[in-house]
Amino acid sequence: MTTTPTDEYAELGKEVPVSQIDHELRALWEQDDARTNASLMNLVVYTERRGGLLENSRIIGDLARENACRAILVEIAREEETSLRAWITAHCHLSDGRKSVCSEQIAFRLTGRVTGRFRNTVFSHLNSDLPLIFWWQGKLSEVFTERLASVMDRLIVDSSSWADAKAGFARIAEATEGNTALVVQDLAWTRCWQYRVGIAGLFDDTVAQAALGGIAGIRICHSPQNRNTALQILAWLAVQAGWKHKGAGVFETRDGHRITAVIESSPDSAPLGLVELSSPGTTVRVSREKGSAHLLREIESGDYKVSSLSPADPEAAESLVAQQLSRGGKNSLFLKVLPTFLELL
Amino acid sequence: MKASVETLGTAMSNPFREDLVSRNRPEPCTVVIFGATGDLTHRKLIPALYNLAVGGELPTGVNIIGFARREKSDGEFRTGLEVLNRKVSRSGHDAEVWDNFIHSVSYHQSEFNDARGYASLAKRIDEIDAGRGGKGNRLFYIASAPEFFDEILIQLKGAGLNKAKDGCWARVIIEKPFGTDLKTAKHLNKVVSQTFAEKDTYRIDHYLGKETAQNLMVLRFANAIFEPLWNSRYISHLQITCSENLGMEGGRGGYYEKSGALRDMVQNHLLQLLSLVAMEPPTDLSADGVRDEKVKVIRSLRQWDTPEKVAENVIRAQYTAGHVDGNPVPGYREEDRVSPTSETEAYVAVRLLIDTWRWSGVPFYIRMGKRLPKKSTEISVHFKEAPSVLFSALPGGVPGGNVLVIRIQPDEGISLRMVSKIPGTSLRLEPVKMDFHYATSFGKGSPEAYERLILDAIAGDATLFARRDEVEEAWRFIDHIERAWHESDNKPPMAEFVAGSWGPREADEMIKKDGFAWRRL
Repeated sequence: MTTTPTDEYAELGKEVPVSQIDHELRALWEQDDARTNASLMNLVVYTERRGGLLENSRIIGDLARENACRAILVEIAREEETSLRAWITAHCHLSDGRKSVCSEQIAFRLTGRVTGRFRNTVFSHLNSDLPLIFWWQGKLSEVFTERLASVMDRLIVDSSSWADAKAGFARIAEATEGNTALVVQDLAWTRCWQYRVGIAGLFDDTVAQAALGGIAGIRICHSPQNRNTALQILAWLAVQAGWKHKGAGVFETRDGHRITAVIESSPDSAPLGLVELSSPGTTVRVSREKGSAHLLREIESGDYKVSSLSPADPEAAESLVAQQLSRGGKNSLFLKVLPTFLELL
Repeated sequence: MKASVETLGTAMSNPFREDLVSRNRPEPCTVVIFGATGDLTHRKLIPALYNLAVGGELPTGVNIIGFARREKSDGEFRTGLEVLNRKVSRSGHDAEVWDNFIHSVSYHQSEFNDARGYASLAKRIDEIDAGRGGKGNRLFYIASAPEFFDEILIQLKGAGLNKAKDGCWARVIIEKPFGTDLKTAKHLNKVVSQTFAEKDTYRIDHYLGKETAQNLMVLRFANAIFEPLWNSRYISHLQITCSENLGMEGGRGGYYEKSGALRDMVQNHLLQLLSLVAMEPPTDLSADGVRDEKVKVIRSLRQWDTPEKVAENVIRAQYTAGHVDGNPVPGYREEDRVSPTSETEAYVAVRLLIDTWRWSGVPFYIRMGKRLPKKSTEISVHFKEAPSVLFSALPGGVPGGNVLVIRIQPDEGISLRMVSKIPGTSLRLEPVKMDFHYATSFGKGSPEAYERLILDAIAGDATLFARRDEVEEAWRFIDHIERAWHESDNKPPMAEFVAGSWGPREADEMIKKDGFAWRRL
């Protein structure tokens, strides 16, 4: 194993033999008493994308400011010769401008045949007793197995990055069968959190509530890569309001009333640009201009017009992960909505 | 065509709320702030409402009306609010959000005792409600000087503003001080209860909105290791400390002279913390479920109802000139707006006994003082020492028992002191500390207490607000002490301590009699 100043992985910290990781981490903390090692979780970030390791190390630098963790970064490159390299470092920031608070990071690059080796490498470097959050970037590969899923407390994926979301969720279902403790979180679902909060908030208004029974049309606009988010929010509306999907964007309310949903994709749209529910005379709308940091929440019913701003959902995956980490929960609402979403795909 | 609200009756529900957030839902309403030109409104209430808007938590359709005596236009009022918000807002000042938010804020000028002002307020709110099909919720926030509390409540009733429309609610938040003794608190409660139902009355105590105060119940009841030990069998005593390094700067002497440490801090904030730390597990997390248990603690306090008992269990003191943070500071009686012959306590230490099965024989000590060495509020739970059979013969013995410290402010967190062996060939024991800091583990800042509390009031969750009986029971306990100090023939003496020290010698002696010492902060 060699480390040279020109090593492309130099920013991952000190390269160490895998067998010496714990020893080297201890030495790292002994160097400076003024630093506090904080950790609330094990956060594994897995990628099969070339260069993902370096990018994820930068992401952890930001993420760890609000989510103290032991970060374990993994990059897999099957096409290269078999090898295993490891680096350790710490991401530190000043807390309240006083204390230097640090999260430790172990980065692994596994090449060649990885199955089995990968799992054991991760398992042996977890901080005991702390939950394991596993952020899987990209498509689920054969590395994702029932054995691996069995040690996770939370699995974060982004179905927007999958070519076949149905197959992806089927794979998760297969690997997690009977594992009710695992919480699965889809960043495509996280992307519409503020929209859902906004819509729910608008329907607290008596005028919007009065119009709910008469909703006849739904319009949702999204950017091309965020169709899953659009379908998930449509599925959420339908499940919560008790509308049945009759196919081809048509829903039926409990009293047989028809609702037509239109989903529009536009490159000029924000990830989710608009969710609008209309009944005769009343429109409830949450919208976002591309690039805006805010959502505009509106109700229009005759002369009655109210509006307010609320924060928009972040766009970057790491910011969405940060949101998920700070929120926690069992994600039961997503599981409730998932079957309808899969039906709409 | 406008949607018909009338057809909905009162059984309206919002299916999109289900499973979304684990809290009561905050509904659109009109918020009227009395005392709108005051410091509290500018520094705390409007920034809190604005920060709720920034977070998207303020319901769409909230209107805020500032009610005060000074002549002002909406524009002047808004400009004044913006100037302060830019300085104090927790999340900074986002012009786009502010513009949208401030659009819903207006000013209503009236004397607090002018019925016409309330009639025009009612008309104004009705106009707002008209847009919602004649319906609307109302939240009245009484943040004026306390002498106007009665009048405002009476006038609200006179104008019919206390009455909620069908399917809606009308609530009132009342700022501290809630009375100055049991008599005035009872009177105020009577006026309140003639105006609003108890379930619609929110007596605010901002300490209860602090993250660590809320975490007290979680710490006790969500962790299996603490509750079995949380009783007289394992705990020797508890201390609640609220120390301030400030004195009477900024003209605070005028207010403080009328209240003193006991009434200003102990009657409300510190007894609230005491009740949270000492209460039995509530049957559920409903507002009354929690408050039923809290009030039992206050009701179980042994009363120090004679001057002799007060002298034995309560120490009052004033500071003399000294140094704080290296700077010379005057004595209490030399402070601005303080009488040179003042009999107001700037420090108080109270020994309390809670006559319940759980706490029989366990003293609780509360101390609060101005011009102490540093600003800190914490609760420390001191566990009994382990039987000294094994290690008592060691040089130095066993260095003290376990102490669990819950820091309320600043640097919110929890620490546990344990005894450990010093590495080496010999057997020597030293205390070590396991420390959890909120800011270290959760980099994200907590919302301001007022944000949480205002949102709770809008959502109809009174858990973190004091109930009538809690307030009255607290005053009952405090009144005995005040009477002994100010009305008895043998008044307990006023002790002294040097500013910048940890309080008077008499307070040290009081706790020492039980075999304990004040925790060094």
